[in-house]
Amino acid sequence: MRGTGEVGGTAGYQDLVTAATVGLDRRPLPVEALAGPAGEHAGVLDPGDPVAAFLDAAALLFSARRAGPVPAGAEGGPAWLTPAPPETIPELPPRASAVLGYVLRGGDADLLADLLTAAAGAGLRAAPPMLPGLLDAAIRHKALRGPVAAILGARGRWLAAFHPDWQRVADVAAPTTARSGIDLADESVWETGRRAERRDWLAALRASDPAAARERLATGWARETGDDRAELLRVLAAGLSDADEPFLESALDDRKQSVRVAAARLLGTLGDSGFTRRAVARGTATLALGQPGTRPALVVSLPQSCDAAAARDGISPARPSQAVGTRSWLLTQFIAAVPPTEWTARLGLSPAELVRLPVTGGFRADVHAGWRLAAVARRDAAWAAALLTARYDAVEGRPPETWPGPAELAAVLPPAGQLEHAERFLADHGPGPAAVAVLAAVPGPWTDSLSDVVLEHLARGIIQTGRPRRVSGLLTPAARKLPVAGRRDYAAALRALAQESSPDSELYPRLRRAADTIDRRRLFLQELT
Amino acid sequence: MLALAPDPASQQAAARLAGSPGWSQTGAAGDVVWGLCAGSGQHPYQTVTDLSGPAYTCSCPSRKFPCKHALALLLRWAEGTVPEETARADFAESWVTARRARAAVAAQAPDRTGPKDQKAAARRAEQRETRVAAGLAELETWLRDQVRAGLSSTGGGYGHAERVAARMVDAQAPGVAAVLRGLGGIGSSGEGWPERLLGAYAQLHLLIRAHDQLDSLPPDLAAVVRSHVGYTVARQEVLAGPGVADRWLVIGVRDMLDATVPVRRILLRGRDTGRFGLLLIFDPRGSFAQDPDGWLVPGIELDVDLHFYPGQPGLRALVGERRHEPVPAPAPDGAGDIAGLLADWAGVLAGDPWLGSWPVLVAGTPVPAEGGWRFADRSGLLVPLVTAGIDYMLLLAVSGGAPVTLAGEWSPEGLRPLTAWHGHQAVRL
Repeated sequence: MRGTGEVGGTAGYQDLVTAATVGLDRRPLPVEALAGPAGEHAGVLDPGDPVAAFLDAAALLFSARRAGPVPAGAEGGPAWLTPAPPETIPELPPRASAVLGYVLRGGDADLLADLLTAAAGAGLRAAPPMLPGLLDAAIRHKALRGPVAAILGARGRWLAAFHPDWQRVADVAAPTTARSGIDLADESVWETGRRAERRDWLAALRASDPAAARERLATGWARETGDDRAELLRVLAAGLSDADEPFLESALDDRKQSVRVAAARLLGTLGDSGFTRRAVARGTATLALGQPGTRPALVVSLPQSCDAAAARDGISPARPSQAVGTRSWLLTQFIAAVPPTEWTARLGLSPAELVRLPVTGGFRADVHAGWRLAAVARRDAAWAAALLTARYDAVEGRPPETWPGPAELAAVLPPAGQLEHAERFLADHGPGPAAVAVLAAVPGPWTDSLSDVVLEHLARGIIQTGRPRRVSGLLTPAARKLPVAGRRDYAAALRALAQESSPDSELYPRLRRAADTIDRRRLFLQELT
Repeated sequence: MLALAPDPASQQAAARLAGSPGWSQTGAAGDVVWGLCAGSGQHPYQTVTDLSGPAYTCSCPSRKFPCKHALALLLRWAEGTVPEETARADFAESWVTARRARAAVAAQAPDRTGPKDQKAAARRAEQRETRVAAGLAELETWLRDQVRAGLSSTGGGYGHAERVAARMVDAQAPGVAAVLRGLGGIGSSGEGWPERLLGAYAQLHLLIRAHDQLDSLPPDLAAVVRSHVGYTVARQEVLAGPGVADRWLVIGVRDMLDATVPVRRILLRGRDTGRFGLLLIFDPRGSFAQDPDGWLVPGIELDVDLHFYPGQPGLRALVGERRHEPVPAPAPDGAGDIAGLLADWAGVLAGDPWLGSWPVLVAGTPVPAEGGWRFADRSGLLVPLVTAGIDYMLLLAVSGGAPVTLAGEWSPEGLRPLTAWHGHQAVRL
C-alpha cells in the first residue's frame, strides 16, 4: 500500500510521515491520490494550497488507519494456552471468599493461614479470582506457603506455572493426602521432573518402600546438584531407621553445607547411632552435678574448641551474635545435640528439678538454650513443659533460632496438654508477652475454661489502671482462637467488655476488632459446611 | 490562560495550584467563575474571575495581578472541572454586581439584568465562538508551520506546544489546549513518534476545518466538534434532554489519577438497550468519595435514567431519575467478538473521528504473544491487550486458558481490560 511519494503518485500515510518529518519546505509532497479507503475522498484536496491539502490528506489517511486496524497475528492461529485441567473439588462459596478477601487485604497472615487450613480441611479450593492475591501473600509470608499450596486447586497450580515465585509456593510439599495421585510406575518423573515433582515422587516411594527410596537416592547421588541433594535428603525423615545410618553418615562429608546440616539433623533423631553416641560423649562432658557452695548446682566445663570431628557432626564454630561468647556457643550446641533424656538418666533428676538448678560460671542461659533447642528438635514434651515453667531468662542478643521461645516450646506439648498448660502459664505468669506467645502457639479453638480465663484477664485489665497495655496483647491470639460456636458467644462478650471500657482507651477499638474477627471466622466456618 | 500570567513563576505556581485539593465551592455561571482556595491563613481565599473583562479579584495578599489563585481557578475551569451553576455564590455575586455596576456607569450602558439576560447569553455565546475561531485560525497557522519546518526540528520535545496550548486556553478552547499539552514529550514516547505526532496534528487540523463550518454541520456532529474544542454543556441542559431508562450495569471503573484533576471513569452498559454509557467523576483528592456514585464497582446495576451529552455517538452521560437502590447484578449477556468490536469502532469513528476509545464487551481468551498478551476470540482473530496498570495475572486466573467475558476500552493501541466475569462475579482487573 506504500506509495512512491512522487508527484502525482498515490500517497500512503507513511509517505506523509516521511515528508512531514523532514519538513514540506525541504521536501514538498503534492498529494493528489490517496491509498486505501481514504482514496475516495481525495477530491476534497485543494491543489491550490499544498500545505492544507497535505494536512487534509493526513487527516483522511490517519482516520482510515485508526478506523481499520488489522487484527494481528491471525496467521497460523493464536498461540492458545493449554487450559487449566478440570477441578476435582468444589470452590469456596462466595461469602467465604469475601471473608478471605477481607482478611487478605487486612494483612493478618496468621488468621489467613487458619482460614485457609480450615477450607482445605473441608475439601474446598480457592476461587480463581483469589489466587493471585493468595500466591503473592504466600511469597511475602513463608508461614502461608503450606496453607496456600493446599487450596490452589487445579487452576491455582496451572496459574503458578506463569510466575517463578508462585511456582515455588505451589511446590511446597503438599499434605500426603494430595500426593496420593503420584504414579510410582512413572519413572520419568524421577528422571526428568522438576525438583518438587521428584521430591514428591521420592516421598511416595519412601512411604511404600523406605529402603528402595534410599537406594534410589544413593544411586544417582553423585550426579545431583547441591540444592537437589539437600531437598531430597530431607525426604528420608519419614520412615527413618537404623538402616539409613551408613548413607547419612556419608552425607556428613558432603561438599554442600545444607546437605551436611540435613544429614546431621536426621542422624540426631536416630535413637542409637554412632552420631548420637559421639554427641552424647561430647555434650555430657560439659555438665556435671556438683555442690560448689551450700546448694547443689550444675558445674560447667566449657568446651575448649571445635575440633574436626565436632565440625563434621554439624557443630558450627561461628557464634550467632556478639552477645554470645564463642565457647559459650559451643557449649549450647554440644548440649543441644544430646537427647534430653540422657540428662535425666545420667544425673538422676527430673527435668523440672534440673531446670531449677543454679548453673556455675554464669552459663545458665547457654545451658538452657541447649536444652530448649534439644526439646524442640526432639519434640520432648516433658522437657518442654519443664522449660516453660523455668525462670524466663533475659535473652537479649540471641537470634530466635538459637533460643526457642515459649511459643515453640508450647507447640511441642500434646494438644490437650497445651491448652491446660497455657491456662496454667497464664495463671502463674500473668498476661505478659510470654503468655501471649504461648497462647498464640496453642491450637484453637480454645477450651471454654481457657477462654474464660483469658476473658477474665481482659475484664480485670479494663478496670485496673495501667493494665490495658499489658492485657491488650491477649486480644491477638484471642481473636483467632476463642471458639466461635458453643456455650458462650465470645464476640458478644468482647463487645460487652468494649462497652465497659472508655471509648478513648486503647483497648476499646482492639476489643471491637477482635469481636469482628470472631464474627468473620464464624461466618467463614458456617459457609464451609 | 497561562499567557495572562504576569511572569513564568506565576505560571508554574498556578499549574501546581490547579491540581491542589484545597479548592472548594467552585462554580461557574455565564462568564463568572469562582471558588475558595485554602491558603496559609485561617480562612480560605475567595477567588472570582469575570471572563467578560477579563477581571479578577482574590482575597489573598499577593500583589501579582492576576494572582496564582485566579489563574489556577481558570485552569480548572478550562479543564472542565468547575461545575456549571445557575446562581452565583454570594461572594462572587457581590463583587460582580459591584464591578459590572461600575463598568455600566462608566460605559453609560443599561444594567444587564432581567429580560435581557437571554439576549446577553446569546451574545456571549457568539462572542465566545468568535474568540475560539480566532484562536483556532492561529493554531492552523502554527500547524502549517510545523509540517513545513519538519517534525524533527521541534523533535516533539517537552514544551514545544506549550505556548500554543496556553494561547488555546485564552481562546476558550480548553479541549484543544489539553490535546496540545498532551503532545509534550511525544518525541520520547518510543518508536513511531512522528506517526503519532503527525496524526495528532492532522486531527487538530480536521477539528479546525469542522469548527469553521460549525453552523452548517448536522447537529450531532456539531455537538461532537464543540465537545472536543472544549465548549462546556451545563448539567441542567443535559438533564433537560430525554433520559434513557434501563438497568445500567457497571462494567468497568478506571481511575485517571495522573490527570490535572483526577477523574474516575465509570463505564455502564444497559441490560435491555445494550447501549454503553460513561459517568465521569472529578475529585482533586482522588478519593471520589464525595460523589454519590463514586463508590460504584463493576457488577453493580443502577435502575436509572441516563441523560446523554449531545452528539453522536453518545457516551458521556449524567444520572437523572433513580428508581431503585443500586444492586449487585449477574454477568451481562451479549458479549461480542473481535470482528464486532472492530466494526463498532469503525462505526463510532464515523460519527466522531476524534474519539480516543470506546467501551467493549467481548468474549475471548488471553493468549501469550511476542512482546505481551493478546486477546483471541473463537474465530482466532487477535487484538493486543494493553496491560499497563492492569493485573493481567488476575485475568489469566479467571480465564484459566478458557474463554471469559471481558469488559474494557478499545483504542487503536489495543484492548484495555477492566473487568472479567468469574461466573456471575465481576472481577476488577
